[in-house]
Amino acid sequence: MQNIGPSLEILIRRLVDIPPDFLDEPKIGNQGQVVVAALVNDLLRWFGARPSDLILARFRSSNTGIDRNRLALVMIVVWLLADEWFIAAGIPQHLLVKLLDETPADLASTTPAHKFVTDPDRREELARTVLARLNFRPKDETLAQATDRLSSISGSERKRLLEASRAAEHRARAIREALAKKAAEESADKWTRE
Amino acid sequence: MSDEPNDQDRYPTLTEAGRRMLRDLREHPSAPMYRNQSGNRLTLEDVSELRSFEREILESAVDFLPNQTPAWVNEYVQRTFEDVPYYRSLGSPPKKFTDLPTISRADLAADIAKFVPDSVSLNRLINFRTTGTTGHPLLIASHPVVAGRYLAFHKRALKRFGIELKHGRNQVGVVILGNQRKCFTYVSVTPLMDESGLAKINLHPADWNHPDDRAKYLDALDPEVYAGDPISFAELLKLPITTTPRALISVSMALSEGLRAKLEARFACPVLDVYSMNEVGPIAVYDSNAGGHVLLQPQLFVEILDANGDRVPSGQHGEIVVTGGFNFCLPLLRYRTGDFGALVVGKEAPVITGLSGRQPIRFRANDGRWLNNIDVSHALGAIPFSRYGLHQHADGSLALNIAMAELSLAEKAKTALELLFGDQPITVIGLIAEDKFIQYTSDLEGAKQ
Repeated sequence: MQNIGPSLEILIRRLVDIPPDFLDEPKIGNQGQVVVAALVNDLLRWFGARPSDLILARFRSSNTGIDRNRLALVMIVVWLLADEWFIAAGIPQHLLVKLLDETPADLASTTPAHKFVTDPDRREELARTVLARLNFRPKDETLAQATDRLSSISGSERKRLLEASRAAEHRARAIREALAKKAAEESADKWTRE
Repeated sequence: MSDEPNDQDRYPTLTEAGRRMLRDLREHPSAPMYRNQSGNRLTLEDVSELRSFEREILESAVDFLPNQTPAWVNEYVQRTFEDVPYYRSLGSPPKKFTDLPTISRADLAADIAKFVPDSVSLNRLINFRTTGTTGHPLLIASHPVVAGRYLAFHKRALKRFGIELKHGRNQVGVVILGNQRKCFTYVSVTPLMDESGLAKINLHPADWNHPDDRAKYLDALDPEVYAGDPISFAELLKLPITTTPRALISVSMALSEGLRAKLEARFACPVLDVYSMNEVGPIAVYDSNAGGHVLLQPQLFVEILDANGDRVPSGQHGEIVVTGGFNFCLPLLRYRTGDFGALVVGKEAPVITGLSGRQPIRFRANDGRWLNNIDVSHALGAIPFSRYGLHQHADGSLALNIAMAELSLAEKAKTALELLFGDQPITVIGLIAEDKFIQYTSDLEGAKQ
């Protein structure tokens, strides 16, 4: 966060104003509409880069369960990065690719992608995270302020999600145990048995 | 604390009459060896809730049109994405229902726990297991109330054929038949039918002191309904039973026209062919007047999709995909059933036509013509097989799989197939009751449609 970036409000506004097309379904296998790799390709070309097919392959998938949320968030980050401030800043391809590759994967592992558009705290988290990973901080904030705010907004969310994730693991185990109990195995009356 | 269930767990509302029914079912001199225990597990509150549910199901219409997503589905999707771990992990619900990814049996088999909503209490969870022919053994999360809800759909199906269930106290409501070497068997009572008896039995002689006891016992029980599958019904036909049920309900596999006709003639009652699966419950009942299987569940949206996951026009064949259902432990969104058919508008409810259990297969006739597996079903439909399978080898020759006990029908079947295929060599293979198989298979390239 050594460099001064755009004002946070501009980025948050951009997330609020995201065109509906960027919230459409990422194409995975035969389903969905938006070819995310093509979207990434267009973005990188605006930055003057020529991504290889190997790079773009990271934004294609045939596994909905693993990649749907990540690719949906890549689409949102692409929209954010297409802001004229970023393009004018001339960010190098390798940084953009690293950002598009890693940030959505990290954030989407715990939060539905569209929450980064609809929820005010998540909007701020996404805007600050994107800036930080490109080594920028919001305009009018000191390094200390920007660091504190990012760690506070994403730290509390991470903590909440970690607790939720532990609770989810605990519940999944409890469900498996409940289903294996003798009473569950005895089942209950149905007038027909498939 | 022991997790060993007792009769209080199995029959929480049991009265003295119910206790007597259980004893009579178990202790009749001709009774089979009951190998397991189970029960209705319904509390008084459950029974009251089920009565309301039943009224609702009998009065509600299944009124969506093919390819038109019903209004209730959007809220159902939102709720499922919030409450079910598997869907939560997919991110945000899609804007359009048709963008929702489909799931299949393999997804449920991988980890059923991910599909159980957070809001479901685990205290009374039960399971139903299926093996199937797809290589994915499946354990379904369920609840006694969900199991109890089946009856509402059976009543809805029976109502189509003018049957209203009457058996109550001191009578047997249903005997559920199996016919296999190993079978889960037990007795129970149905609180919603004033504790009418329920017996789940195995017709396989190994479960009886003497094979003749089967007819004696069933005559003594005189149930209002027999439920079973074509294999157990074929066995039932052989028994010298003198009492007659008011209806037969067949599930699990396709019921041939020939076997249905034989059963109807023998028992002088309607024989219902119910399309039902553990994951979804009773989906539809066959009605020849409607031209196919009439949908039964008001809160189950049925779509027909092609191999790419796109909806096909009404009347066109594809995979049956379901959303909704009555199992609150397993809300389903676009679940690919692995079964195929077409969906058309019906008089009272949408109708699945040309229902077949697996992906359609084409067979090649001797003159090179391709034949649909529906042609084969029609050709063999009049022969009262309990079940059959047809396989075409790479050289075009055919293997017809039929039950050992039905080998006497082989010549009739060969004649019917020769009319269809011409001069193709046909081998007949005898199946034993436990064999599971896919009905239509082929080694020929281009056979899968």
